[in-house]
Amino acid sequence: MEFDIPLPEELELLEANSYYPEEEDDYLNFEEAPYPYDEEKEEEERVAQKELHVQQPDSPEINGIKRPRSLMSDPIVNLDEVSPASEKRSKIGDNRVEMEDEDWLRPSPVKEVVHAVEEEEEVIPPETIFSRYASEIDGECFPITAPDGGERVYAKFCRALGDEEVKKLDVKAKSNGLIKDPISVLLQQSEKEAFNKALQTSSEDQNETITAETPVMHEKLWVDKYSPSSFTELLSDEQTNREVLLWLKQWDASVFGSEIRSTTDEVLSALKRHSTTSHRQKSDSAFTRKNQFSRWSKGSSTYPKNSDVSNSNPTDNHDMWNKKSKLTGSPEQKILLLCGAPGLGKTTLAHVAAKHCGYRVVEINASDERSAAAIETKILDVVQMNSVTADSRPKCLVIDEIDGALGDGKGAVDVILKMVLAERKHATGKENINNGKTSSKKERRTAPLSRPVICICNDLYAPALRPLRQIAKVHIFVQPTVSRVVNRLKYICNMEGMKTRSVGLSALAEYTECDIRSCLNTLQFLNKKNETLNVIDIGSQVVGRKDMSKSLFDIWKEIFNKRKMKRERSNDASGSEAKKFDFLHTLVSSRGDYDLIFDGIHENILRLHYHDPMMDKTVSCLDCLGASDLLHRYIMRTQQMPLYVYFSSLVIPIHRRVAQIQRPTIEWPKSYHRCRTLMVEKQESLRSWYHKIPPYIGRHLSIKSFVEDSASPLLHILSPPTLRPVASHLLSERQKDQLAGLVMLMCSYSVTYKNAKPNPALSDLREDAASEATVLALDPHLFDFISFKGRQLKHHILTLAMKQVLVHEVEMQKILQASGGRSGILNNPEEVKKTNQELARKTIAASNECHRNPVTSKSPSVPVEKNATTSEAKSSDVKKASRTALNFFDRFRKSRKDYEDPEDVQKRATAKRDSRPLLFKFNEGFTNAVKRPVRMREFLL
Amino acid sequence: MEIRVKCGCGEDECSEWTIVELQGVVETQSSFQGSVQNLEIGRLCHSDSSQENYTFTVGYHELVGSKVTLKKPLLVLKKIQKCTDDSSVKETELEVVGIIRSKILFKTRPKPLISGTN
Repeated sequence: MEFDIPLPEELELLEANSYYPEEEDDYLNFEEAPYPYDEEKEEEERVAQKELHVQQPDSPEINGIKRPRSLMSDPIVNLDEVSPASEKRSKIGDNRVEMEDEDWLRPSPVKEVVHAVEEEEEVIPPETIFSRYASEIDGECFPITAPDGGERVYAKFCRALGDEEVKKLDVKAKSNGLIKDPISVLLQQSEKEAFNKALQTSSEDQNETITAETPVMHEKLWVDKYSPSSFTELLSDEQTNREVLLWLKQWDASVFGSEIRSTTDEVLSALKRHSTTSHRQKSDSAFTRKNQFSRWSKGSSTYPKNSDVSNSNPTDNHDMWNKKSKLTGSPEQKILLLCGAPGLGKTTLAHVAAKHCGYRVVEINASDERSAAAIETKILDVVQMNSVTADSRPKCLVIDEIDGALGDGKGAVDVILKMVLAERKHATGKENINNGKTSSKKERRTAPLSRPVICICNDLYAPALRPLRQIAKVHIFVQPTVSRVVNRLKYICNMEGMKTRSVGLSALAEYTECDIRSCLNTLQFLNKKNETLNVIDIGSQVVGRKDMSKSLFDIWKEIFNKRKMKRERSNDASGSEAKKFDFLHTLVSSRGDYDLIFDGIHENILRLHYHDPMMDKTVSCLDCLGASDLLHRYIMRTQQMPLYVYFSSLVIPIHRRVAQIQRPTIEWPKSYHRCRTLMVEKQESLRSWYHKIPPYIGRHLSIKSFVEDSASPLLHILSPPTLRPVASHLLSERQKDQLAGLVMLMCSYSVTYKNAKPNPALSDLREDAASEATVLALDPHLFDFISFKGRQLKHHILTLAMKQVLVHEVEMQKILQASGGRSGILNNPEEVKKTNQELARKTIAASNECHRNPVTSKSPSVPVEKNATTSEAKSSDVKKASRTALNFFDRFRKSRKDYEDPEDVQKRATAKRDSRPLLFKFNEGFTNAVKRPVRMREFLL
Repeated sequence: MEIRVKCGCGEDECSEWTIVELQGVVETQSSFQGSVQNLEIGRLCHSDSSQENYTFTVGYHELVGSKVTLKKPLLVLKKIQKCTDDSSVKETELEVVGIIRSKILFKTRPKPLISGTN
């Protein structure tokens, strides 16, 4: 009964809401009852009244209003007393109750009861505003139909209580399903959201004036406000920081000249020597160097002069650099490539390190123009120009998001590559020819790289970056530890006066995968809204993240690989499951190449080693793939691109079924492409063969049905086992007929044997011919259409000698047919009189018969026998058909031939010959063969 | 030994001959038993005056050739044997018949002609 109590409540509510106009109608003209439906309702209510009277004494302790309704919904009670019409009605009601039960009441029925009771109580006391007309109540109202007499009243809806209720539910609802919240809570939340939205829009009119008055505040982003300004504040991995700095230091020699070489060496050695433990010491020394530098650049006059020299006379500079390269070893790789996930501080590191080493940073971002020409001028600016402003430090180029735009970014990559290569060529040329002037001319054209260039990318393996990767010094950023991020976040929060707990911060950091930028943005956003960080589900709060898509291989890996979750399992398994769920979904949907993703899954899924004794995992995964296929096809056909959204959710069940902890070996999907090309090839061969068949046979064949149905029977017919490879005059009459029939069949289907290269796939099919260097194979490879991998064909295979005989006979037959000769091998005069119509019918019947035979009968010998006979009949039919078809044209040819007299022809031929008494015979080759030596004596004697 | 070369004509009147050089052999049809007497060898046509293009039709072949000036001109001589009194000694004279300054060279493969009559 626990479940039954709330149900009528729901039913009641629903009735009150949905049948409101009808009931109103009903209420007004009670006697007329315009619809039978209403009558039922009336009856039901009347019954309910009766029930009320009957039941009340039995259950006095239960609330009087509630009890009868529960009975009303109970079909057993109702069936006894209610008419059949109302029975139907009650069933409808039941169904509805079930529906409601599903999505509303299942998880926490007790809670619901309490809620309902509370509401009920709230309504019943007469103190609350309570009227028969909705217009009398201000604010939200709630219709209630009284059980006795069907009277309808409106009660004011007290919202405060209800909201609290919902909130309580929200906190309590934490199940371990796939989704973070159970469906009921989600529904409630969505209801609440809609409600709040409606509330907001209604209240917006009042608030509008207020919001307009509030001044627009410009607050600096925390990300910028607290970005590290010095090297020591950097949050990224120290090793990486150090190496970037080291690389920049190596430029010093060529950029700043030899004056500061001593300090450079010092710093270099210090950098090399010091390990991470002596970080502070090192940074101190770096600071002194920096101070020294700034002092020096301001005060002393040597540096500007030097920079002037280096800019106006690059050869000088390069001479110096070359010298230096021998001494100190300037950077071998001219370009630094930083890569890593967004928000790890790559750009910050580049800026800070460059600043630290005394460079002015020139950044080219994704938002700038990045065509090849534009970037070249920019780089030339950086390399050659000296700014007129007070800030006369040398520049360092930072190209951010170089992988971002493929077409344009590639232009940038090309320019940089060109410059680096020019530099190299120049350097080698310099060593060979020690001539400053010529090389300087050359250099002006190619503009080599003489300032550090730092490229930043998210995906190291973007195809555009492939050439750059080979020549650049690559640093891959790793995630900083959570504690480090949390410490920094805490510090910032303290500075901003925002109250946070470290648990929440660490959860945030984990959620964003240590993306400090999004952490900070989120925190600032929340601070602005005066909200606190919700520890339990961070995803619900706004966390801005940079769009990022992983490579396909990463996605496949994520799908097939289960992560080890030791920590998370101890916390709560459900949360991590839900997180995984979300993670995969966003991963796949941000990538977008759904068909390729699914191809990859299809290619790799069967190679995984998952435990699946009953094959149900496999089956369900393949079901998912099938669903994706269907969906894809539907989308392609109807062009309803929004449906692509659902692809990403299909990945999740696959992941849950087959994901393994051990690392899968993933291959790029090739099988689809291979199959496609193979299919096109075979279709092409089949189609060309189809066009070769004479139309009176071809019209009874469709390519599809031929492959599916008649290819195999036809092959049986084409290779009858009864034929013996002996000389034709040794054959018996019957065998001769058979042979002739086969030849005619092959002719009319334009099938013949041809020399083919020995195919490994075919050689095991034809055992006897396999040893030969060349194999006689059917000209359209009919065996290919019916051969499946690992399936032995049952067809009899003719011997090589027989094939040769057949080839010969077929050729002869073809020639005979072409010349229109009447003397075929077969001559069945009794069949000649049959009409073409009959013949076509018979051909079809024969093919049907021979098609049916191998399928129905089980022993292999019987169908072959039958096939042989049918083939005979068929071939003779076919032969006759060909003859009749030829006769039509023969008539014309004959009549023309008769016109000529053979003697006349002969005469004409001789006359033709006589008209040309001399013939010229061309000698191939040399021209001077006619020359020969002549002695003087021969002239005289 | 003395060979006398005699030229009967003057400098201008010396008749000019031309060589027709073919890469191949002109054969008679088998029905004529090798006798070339009174048989038309072929037709030599000078197609265009500006370009030294010649076509030569032999049998069912058509040859296309061009006029080539010889580096060293040739003389066409006729051997005349005079019987002197003494029968044992024959006096040989060479008489100039013509001079050859150019030849028509057919060095390409012949084109077969397909007669349109039948």
